[in-house]
Amino acid sequence: MRIAGSHTFRAPREEVWEALHDPAVLARTLPGCQALEVTGEDRYEVTVTAGVASIKGTYRGEIELAEKDAPQRYVMDASGQGGPGTIDARVAVELVAVDGGTRVDYDVDAVVGGTIAGVGQRVLQGASKKNAEEFFAAVERELAGEAITEAAEPSEAGTPERPAVGDVFRPPAKPAAETDLTKLVAALALGAAIALIGVLVGRRTAR
Amino acid sequence: MTTKLFGERVERREDRRLLTGRGRYVDDLAHDAYEVAFVRSPHAHARITGIDVTDAIDVDGLVAIYTYEDLPERMQEPLPLLIPHPSLTAPRTQHVLAKDEVNHVGEAVVMVVARDRYVAEDVVDRIVVTYDPLPPVVGIETAAAAEHAVHDDVPDNVAASLTQEIGDLEAAMAAAPHRIELRLDIERSASTPLEGRGVVARWDDEDQSLRVHSSTQTPTSVRAAIATFLELPFAKVECIAPDVGGGFGVKIMHPWPEELLVPWAARTWGHPVKFVDDRREHFVAANHERGQVHWVEVGFDDDGRILALDVRFLHDHGAYIPYGLIVPIITSTQLLGPYKIENYRVEFQSLYTNTMTVTPYRGAGRPQGCFAMERTIDAIASELGRDRTEIRAANFIQPDEMPYDFGLTFQDGRPYLYDSGDFPATLDKLRSLIDWDGFEAVRQEAQAEGRLIGIGMAAYVEGTGVGPYEGGHVLVEPNGRVQVATGLSTQGQGHETAFAQIVSEELGVPIEDVTVVTGDTRRFQYAVGTFASRAAVMSGNAIALAARKVREKALSIAADALEVSPEDLDIVDGVVQVEGSPETSIPLKLVATLSNPLRYAFDEDAQKATQFAQPADPDEPPVREGEEPGLEGTDYYSPPRSTFANGMHAVIVEVDPETSDVEILRYAVVHDCGRIINPMILEGQIHGGVAQGVGGALYERMAYDENGQLQNASFMDFLMPYATEVPTIEVDHLETPSPLNPLGIKGAGEAGVIPGSAAIAAAIEDATGLKIRSMPISPSELHELRRADEETATP
Repeated sequence: MRIAGSHTFRAPREEVWEALHDPAVLARTLPGCQALEVTGEDRYEVTVTAGVASIKGTYRGEIELAEKDAPQRYVMDASGQGGPGTIDARVAVELVAVDGGTRVDYDVDAVVGGTIAGVGQRVLQGASKKNAEEFFAAVERELAGEAITEAAEPSEAGTPERPAVGDVFRPPAKPAAETDLTKLVAALALGAAIALIGVLVGRRTAR
Repeated sequence: MTTKLFGERVERREDRRLLTGRGRYVDDLAHDAYEVAFVRSPHAHARITGIDVTDAIDVDGLVAIYTYEDLPERMQEPLPLLIPHPSLTAPRTQHVLAKDEVNHVGEAVVMVVARDRYVAEDVVDRIVVTYDPLPPVVGIETAAAAEHAVHDDVPDNVAASLTQEIGDLEAAMAAAPHRIELRLDIERSASTPLEGRGVVARWDDEDQSLRVHSSTQTPTSVRAAIATFLELPFAKVECIAPDVGGGFGVKIMHPWPEELLVPWAARTWGHPVKFVDDRREHFVAANHERGQVHWVEVGFDDDGRILALDVRFLHDHGAYIPYGLIVPIITSTQLLGPYKIENYRVEFQSLYTNTMTVTPYRGAGRPQGCFAMERTIDAIASELGRDRTEIRAANFIQPDEMPYDFGLTFQDGRPYLYDSGDFPATLDKLRSLIDWDGFEAVRQEAQAEGRLIGIGMAAYVEGTGVGPYEGGHVLVEPNGRVQVATGLSTQGQGHETAFAQIVSEELGVPIEDVTVVTGDTRRFQYAVGTFASRAAVMSGNAIALAARKVREKALSIAADALEVSPEDLDIVDGVVQVEGSPETSIPLKLVATLSNPLRYAFDEDAQKATQFAQPADPDEPPVREGEEPGLEGTDYYSPPRSTFANGMHAVIVEVDPETSDVEILRYAVVHDCGRIINPMILEGQIHGGVAQGVGGALYERMAYDENGQLQNASFMDFLMPYATEVPTIEVDHLETPSPLNPLGIKGAGEAGVIPGSAAIAAAIEDATGLKIRSMPISPSELHELRRADEETATP
């Protein structure tokens, strides 16, 4: 499944870049995000609750940022697995300075597997681009300083400024953790890679 | 005389039960059973790198979690290759739970047994299986290109290649005045019964025996598989097919992994265990069919007589090949239809892909063969500018050429030999039923209104009633009830009625007194199964033969009792009487009582069978030599080869000029399945088949993406025709009896579906003038074809 689109932020490229790479921001903006754990340099494990219709579940997804060329482009590799299915995705993200802000172009190449692939893949795809806006809007609000600031739970070794391995970021308490279909789809399409994971569900290794 | 029942429109006796919610399906049984759910592969092709159950084991209500490693040795062996064939050089079958590698989305990896399905599914969600994905092989041509292999040890993805040839193809083709080449595609579909798969097993620990109910088309063979894999005496395994909500072929596949795992779990836990699939897993873990690509070259003369036919096709059998080569062998022979083709070569390859396994679905290779042949005939007609029915008529095998031996080998390993049929008469009936000659006027009228309509037809011959055999048991109880049993099972065909009609007629008893039991190994242990339009032919004849034995015995006993000759007796409404003087008679139930010499009476009639009741020859044993107590008979019907039914369909369609939507305006069927047992049941079979044919032509397809993900694994996206899409079906019959069996009948179960895609494609082609070479066709695809055509026409 390929999903491509773009979103223009009213913020300079560096700020957008920072936001999209800030686990705290992502934890707050990623639809359905329960927690986002830093597992290494540019590596995160995300726990997301999401569902399409009756296919719901809590997933953990792993994402890794690669080919970083700040503040212009990066690639996010995401993989996840859970009851509803699996996803392996590569998201190419490009930040282009435009008049009055930054345009983020995203191109998702995802293999969606399992149950979720067999029911409503077309729904996912069709609604994705529109709903990805939800994620971007949330980031936009972050950039505008409107969002509630929530302290992360840094690991003992961590410092608030620079996320360290083991840091876990959580979104502010919300009435319900569940996301609806549109959010899930938003997550999928989410140009920024991370939201993708929302749907995806974490891939974990047998331990 | 006894009321004639054979050939009558007797109402289906099972319908009241089935239509008022009193059917007993697998899921209606054993409400106390543990239930199972499976972790199924989300990948089309991957190596399993780990299975982590850490988070799963604390779930309340969990009974057990099993992976391949946990199975006993015998259960770790691959599932059987059901039908071996010398050309099947690289057969691979699956394991009940995946071993190291998964080869299609939906392959079972872990089995969870729990208090109920809810718990089992919760546990499934908590089990983490990690995979190392491998390149998936999806699509027939991808498989043929063999850039990647489904199974490492089958690098070309070819399980089998088979060529059959008759005559001198090369020479005949070279000499033919005209030649055409075509490529013809049919996509995948599936049986999609209303009730999916299901199995429930009870282990009786005191008796050390197993009772299994499975939604299957072959309980005797499931029983054999269970006894073998669980290493139990056959005598300790009972298998019963209860009411089954449709099979259409998918349930002739056996043993499903679940049909072994569930009984094994039931024995392991000493507790009933049940599996009933949900619709999603039915889509990805129950077999499919149909996907084939055909290349045809035909040589013909100026009259459209086919001089040479060269067919090559690729058959996609999916991840495994448990059912052997049956489907492509059927295509490669039945493709010939009613036509006398003396120079013929057919070559197929059966290919592995990382998709669901393929086994027969109603029609079983015939819809594809019919599509290839009938589209070819239409192409000849188009080339010569001749009427399509004329070209067909020019190629028919004539009635006086029957029986007709092609010199090929059919799916039963027997000669491909048509026993009877009158194809010219069938065509005449069809032409008049649809008013073929009057259509041109109808078309012109429609054209004047700006409407696009077209007519098409297709003919088929169907090998039915394949062996090896079926049996029947008929027993008259001392109370007059007639108990009938046959081993094959029922999925809605009306066997309770049709078989009762046969017994009622043969035995001269009221149909109300007859009870039919099918598919229960406790009642009849020797059977093959319900498939290939064989139940009526095989069990119908076996039951008739068994009833004749009973009749003979009844007449003999009655003759003794009445002191008359058996030849003078007849059985009318359950009373044995002297023909011409019915007052000299004895009720059949009393005959049944007398057939069993008694020491102990249980009622007044029974007293007559006791030892002091009547004078007897003191030197004869009460049960005479060579006889058995009881008024019952068992017999078997085992034909030398299949009997061939035939039919022709004509359809008129309208194509919406704006949307390219296809509407069926008329659908006519002429059908010849020999002597008809029950015309109403036969019509029901035809209607159901046509509905599936319409689905296969216009709606149904398995939409795999290039990664082997089935994208339409739900009824939201997999389209089936509703009543609104199934036209009124006009049916006419021809009855050309089969010389092969006592009742002169031929099978009818699959017929309705076979010519659907061929006839509808022909009608769309006729309406639009476009070559329709790939089915099914959606409005979007037709629209694209029309647009491309318009662009070519007006550059």
